[in-house]
Amino acid sequence: MKRLFAVALGILTAIGGFVDIGDIVANTETGARFGMSLAWVVVVGVVGICLFAEMAGRVATVSKRATFDLVRERLGARVALVNLVASLFITFLTLAAEIGGVALAIELATSVNYLLWVPIVAFCVWLVIWRVKFDLMENVFGLLGLALVVTAVALWRLDPDWGGLLHGATHPAVPQGEGHPSWWYFAIALLGAAMTPYEVFFFSSGAVEEGWSRADLVTNRLNVYIGFPLGGLLSLSLMAGATLFLEPRGIQPGHLSQVALPTALTLGKLGLAVLLVGFFAATFGAALETGLSCGYTIAQYFGFQWGKFVRPADAPRFHLVALVSIVLGAGLVLTTLDPITVTEYSIVLSAAALPLTYFPILVVANDPDYMGDKVNSRFSNALGSVYLLLLLVVAVATIPLMVLTKAGS
Amino acid sequence: MAGRVLEAGLQLLDRQLVDRDGRLAGKVDDLELELPEGGGPPVVTAILAGPGALARRIGGRLGAGLEALASRLREGDDGRPARVSFAVVKRIGSAVELSVPRAELETNRLEAWTRDHLIAHLPGAGDAPE
Repeated sequence: MKRLFAVALGILTAIGGFVDIGDIVANTETGARFGMSLAWVVVVGVVGICLFAEMAGRVATVSKRATFDLVRERLGARVALVNLVASLFITFLTLAAEIGGVALAIELATSVNYLLWVPIVAFCVWLVIWRVKFDLMENVFGLLGLALVVTAVALWRLDPDWGGLLHGATHPAVPQGEGHPSWWYFAIALLGAAMTPYEVFFFSSGAVEEGWSRADLVTNRLNVYIGFPLGGLLSLSLMAGATLFLEPRGIQPGHLSQVALPTALTLGKLGLAVLLVGFFAATFGAALETGLSCGYTIAQYFGFQWGKFVRPADAPRFHLVALVSIVLGAGLVLTTLDPITVTEYSIVLSAAALPLTYFPILVVANDPDYMGDKVNSRFSNALGSVYLLLLLVVAVATIPLMVLTKAGS
Repeated sequence: MAGRVLEAGLQLLDRQLVDRDGRLAGKVDDLELELPEGGGPPVVTAILAGPGALARRIGGRLGAGLEALASRLREGDDGRPARVSFAVVKRIGSAVELSVPRAELETNRLEAWTRDHLIAHLPGAGDAPE
């Protein structure tokens, strides 16, 4: 019974934890511009994150070594340092975007300018990282994030032309008036949002934080294989909402309020209120995950003590890194740089950096020295290799496409 | 741990150091080797850990800058990289396990400094999260 509860809780928090500001922005913008024609990318992204998150969780559980620990061991001090700088920069940008996202969600609820909320949000993020136990933190924000299910409820209440949506999703074509480069650029943004590297940094470190043992491997698998695809459905319902409401009206969402439009118009005030709770929890939860991930990656590269399973005084440099990252992230948002723009750049650059994270995981998941009898199955390896090839192509194509499309505009 | 033949580059370098109490205590950033007098393969006498040792592996301008910084931070005595004698190595697996607490190691100096001068001043630093 206890095990069943743990599994159910893990799945629910994985659903709520899947969506962050990157997914919210990427799916809404794509739906508003390209309808459902890029829905297939969400499917590709979800399969990819399931595959590699399960691998990272399994490696961390069996070897007790989290992802960046292995990056250092497998790539050596020099190459891993380049990887660290790139990963840290992207995770930091994402942290800034999430802090901005939380502040925007509160602005929607209070009509008080988001910039005033940024310092308060940053302080609260730090306080939770400093004082709240890992599993409590994960459960509260994961479960609250489930409020985003309201986007799916809105869609269902609306009872749209399901056949039309499905047809758009299964017959991908570039809409008239849009160029191929922009279409592909948004495809990359969607993939980057679904597979952001910090998710595996956080997930693998979380397995160590929670002291997972081999008995938890089944839980790991169920959380990932059920929770993430259901989280992906939430992404798709944001995309479908934008396809139905924003695309026909020619609205290009530049603000969180437009993301909320489909739900607000369908379900009214109550729906909007629930959606705002969902926005808040999803972005705040992700701000915690990215803030911690800044600490995890640096500490795991240099070998410092990290984690919330010890007192802050026992992991001083880890907490110092998290604190400094949050302060700098809040500082970046306070420059009045648009948080939505920061989000767009963070997910596209994430996409370019994906092989850096996923290659070492695939290598170690095959090493019997670390994994014993829990090495990858042939199927995981075949699929993992296909994904790595795909991610390499994406990494090479990202920057030229960014220049060519002027970042998708 | 005497007498075992290791592929040092693969099985030792860049691995995590874990102390007697399971606390993380740095990385195997470099190794100190000694050639036995009677000939034969070099023997590992110490693990070098911390920014000073890491700087030499990274090399180039960045490495030189890091090394200058590390010697100012005085992690080891006389400005050399912090050293962990190979005599305290208990087991080598996915991490290198030591038989002493990390507080006794030179590699812990920067960690202790950060704790004493920065983190310990914040309220609740010494309490377990709730």
